Amino acid sequence: MEIYLVEIFDYDLVIVGSGLAGLRAAIEAARTGNGKLRIAIIAKNQLMRPHSISAEGGSAAVLYTEEGDSFDLHAYDTIKGSDYLGDQDVVEFFVRQCPVDVLELEHWGIPWARREDGRIAQRPFGGHSYPRATFASDRTGFYEVHTLYDTLLKYGNVDKYHEQFVYDFIIENNRFKGVMALDIPTGQIRIFKARAGIIATGGLGRLYGYTTYSHLVTGDGLAIALRRGMRLKDIEFIQFHPTGLVPSGILITEGVRGDGGILRNAKGERFMEKYAPTKKDLAPRDIVSRSMMTEILEGRGFKGPNGLDYLLLDFSPIGAEKIKEKLSQVREIGMHYVGIDPLESPLPVRPAAHYTMGGIDVTRTGFTGITGLWAAGEAACYSVHGANRLGANSTSECIVFGKIAGGESAKWLLKDNGMITLSEGEMSSAEDFISDAYKDKGDNDPYEIKRELWSTMDKYAYVFRNEKDLTEGLKVIRGLIERSGKISISEKGNVYNQNLISTLEMKNLVELAEVVVFSALQRKESRGSHFRTDYPKRDDENFLKHTIIQRVDGAPQITYRPVTLTKWKPEPRVY
Amino acid sequence: MDSVTVSVYRRDPATEKEGRYVDYVVPREEGMVVLDAMKYIERHIDPTLSLRWNCMAGKCGSCSAEINNKPSLMCKTRIDSLKDGKIKVSPIAAYPLIKDLATDVSQNWDLLKRIPPFTPREGLERPWRISQVDIERSKEFKKCIECFLCQDVCHVIREHKAGYFGPRHVVKAASLDMHPLDSLDRSEFMNKDAGLGYCNITKCCTEVCPEEIHITDNAIIPEKERAVNAQYDPIAIFLRSRRKGGKR
Repeated sequence: MEIYLVEIFDYDLVIVGSGLAGLRAAIEAARTGNGKLRIAIIAKNQLMRPHSISAEGGSAAVLYTEEGDSFDLHAYDTIKGSDYLGDQDVVEFFVRQCPVDVLELEHWGIPWARREDGRIAQRPFGGHSYPRATFASDRTGFYEVHTLYDTLLKYGNVDKYHEQFVYDFIIENNRFKGVMALDIPTGQIRIFKARAGIIATGGLGRLYGYTTYSHLVTGDGLAIALRRGMRLKDIEFIQFHPTGLVPSGILITEGVRGDGGILRNAKGERFMEKYAPTKKDLAPRDIVSRSMMTEILEGRGFKGPNGLDYLLLDFSPIGAEKIKEKLSQVREIGMHYVGIDPLESPLPVRPAAHYTMGGIDVTRTGFTGITGLWAAGEAACYSVHGANRLGANSTSECIVFGKIAGGESAKWLLKDNGMITLSEGEMSSAEDFISDAYKDKGDNDPYEIKRELWSTMDKYAYVFRNEKDLTEGLKVIRGLIERSGKISISEKGNVYNQNLISTLEMKNLVELAEVVVFSALQRKESRGSHFRTDYPKRDDENFLKHTIIQRVDGAPQITYRPVTLTKWKPEPRVY
Repeated sequence: MDSVTVSVYRRDPATEKEGRYVDYVVPREEGMVVLDAMKYIERHIDPTLSLRWNCMAGKCGSCSAEINNKPSLMCKTRIDSLKDGKIKVSPIAAYPLIKDLATDVSQNWDLLKRIPPFTPREGLERPWRISQVDIERSKEFKKCIECFLCQDVCHVIREHKAGYFGPRHVVKAASLDMHPLDSLDRSEFMNKDAGLGYCNITKCCTEVCPEEIHITDNAIIPEKERAVNAQYDPIAIFLRSRRKGGKR
């Protein structure tokens, strides 16, 4: 095993992550740069296989104001959904931009579903008071990724790098200078020197074992940001999607309920009528997930494998034709992964970790506070979603703010001609980091630590939380962090060494788990997805504010920042 | 505990001239797929095993391999679907090997770039009006997850390496040609530059497609036919000569 820094690339802009936000940012930067900027987009796996392809249901956008939808309505739905933790100025900007960017995708060739008259069709979604989820059957994210990828191919000055594991950002005196990456196929080191960067590495969902996230999503960008002293915002808010398929956790889209599907308990009751009399099964996700767990904890669920007790998602009200046309993938998933055809029987479901509302603290233009560094997508926290995101708002957020971050960084680059240079020390530290990772430091098994992390988070930081569980969870996590430093990587080869990558990812995850649980412990109220059984009420007097967490001298440190309110005063959240 | 033996291809091209198959005994679980067995091997028996995988839900197209010689996704092949319980897992053979089951499929990225992109007709009235039927037609091809199993099974690519882009790329061209508002016809490019003429319609690609795209019937044959029509159709020839004349 020999580790070398083999290449130093020189770019104006480096985009880390190739999901919806990264791709959209790349297109916008290329368009704004108009051939004058050299841009690199780098991905941990192959570029067109980001986790964004798993988004199923739709992208929210106000398209039909003449039929009763409006920006104010979309903004209000989003803000009420956020349990008033969304920054209202940002939300207002966001909803105005959604239709522009959704139509742009149309003009780039995406197969949006149509109405009878040939115009774009939209479907109802949880927490939205108008059917405004623009969709392409039940593979919206997939078609969006491919449409963006195809569009990006039109720009010659964007270089694409596949299978690069980014393990550090180079930052000197608060100035971004590039990223360090391991080239997975060769195991050698590359530095992407760049005058500006965009972090679009996604959320941190693989903190949990039972989750809709693919194994790719290990919060690498967030973990590096934390190590580099950057601020994370509202990171305690993790969304649990009501309908993860038991036992795998594969996502069953909210579109099933949008199109008429119903949740039932073991007694066959449509229990959501009890918890959300108006919206019923289409209440926001935090409310549906809590209602489901209440049903299960009170003994009205079905016994599932490995403690994954579940409820049923009944497709029968939708009708066979509509299921075949609009929910074909979900049907195939049911048949393939649990041997159930939803046309005939309901699917077993349970709330699964699904989305990270928090992220890197950024301004409305995606700026991180580090000169030359922006963030977008799930990795960033623009405070659109607050304490609970509405379905169909995340893919929209990725394209809206991916575009903003791409455009802003490019405009800045065109103005700023400042050169950057790398020091000897920065270059050798790139090699040292990886050489050090290979060193034998103990006999802990990285996969075992990951498994323990998953069971800890699933148990102590799930839908219902309390002081005792979170304290216990934090203790276990700190033990895991300690053990994560005492590991030997058994595979010593350079080529395609997944043992090494898994270990580095695991370290990222345990460090992020600490800040998630730490922030959750401090928030002594219940808001959106964060429900404390020991503080079951929302407490606007003390907690209508964003959690800002930073690591100072190795320890997490929390401060708070007020929420921006414009025209909507916090009121009780009834659906 | 009930177990299953999986024979896995192992080779690090940097140090080994020849590959070999190694047998691993893995605990059998209800409903397990081949990828579960591979992950078990990597985590519990031999961490040096290299393979590419990600979503585990048949959506990302990463975990392509040849299972008992048939190009398949490891995450979608259930162990109990394999005859006699025999399981042999090999890398897809159409592409250079990186290590064990991981192959270098990057040549496809360059080919995709050469296919003329979506080019909507000019002066279209907004909002665009498209019928759902037309959306479905192009969506069949847009479903492609780029697993490259069709490329792997294609005997032109495997045996002749004859300048044929391969089924995946014909599907790509078809997905753009079938968009009702697209203004280009890619059939001539596909036949002249992308070597579609080499395909002799054995339909192997259609059989292995995990997305069940009718690659041969709905993409390859129409692309071939349109090019032929354009070439021999007297009206097309006349129009072409006029176009050339106009450019002079």
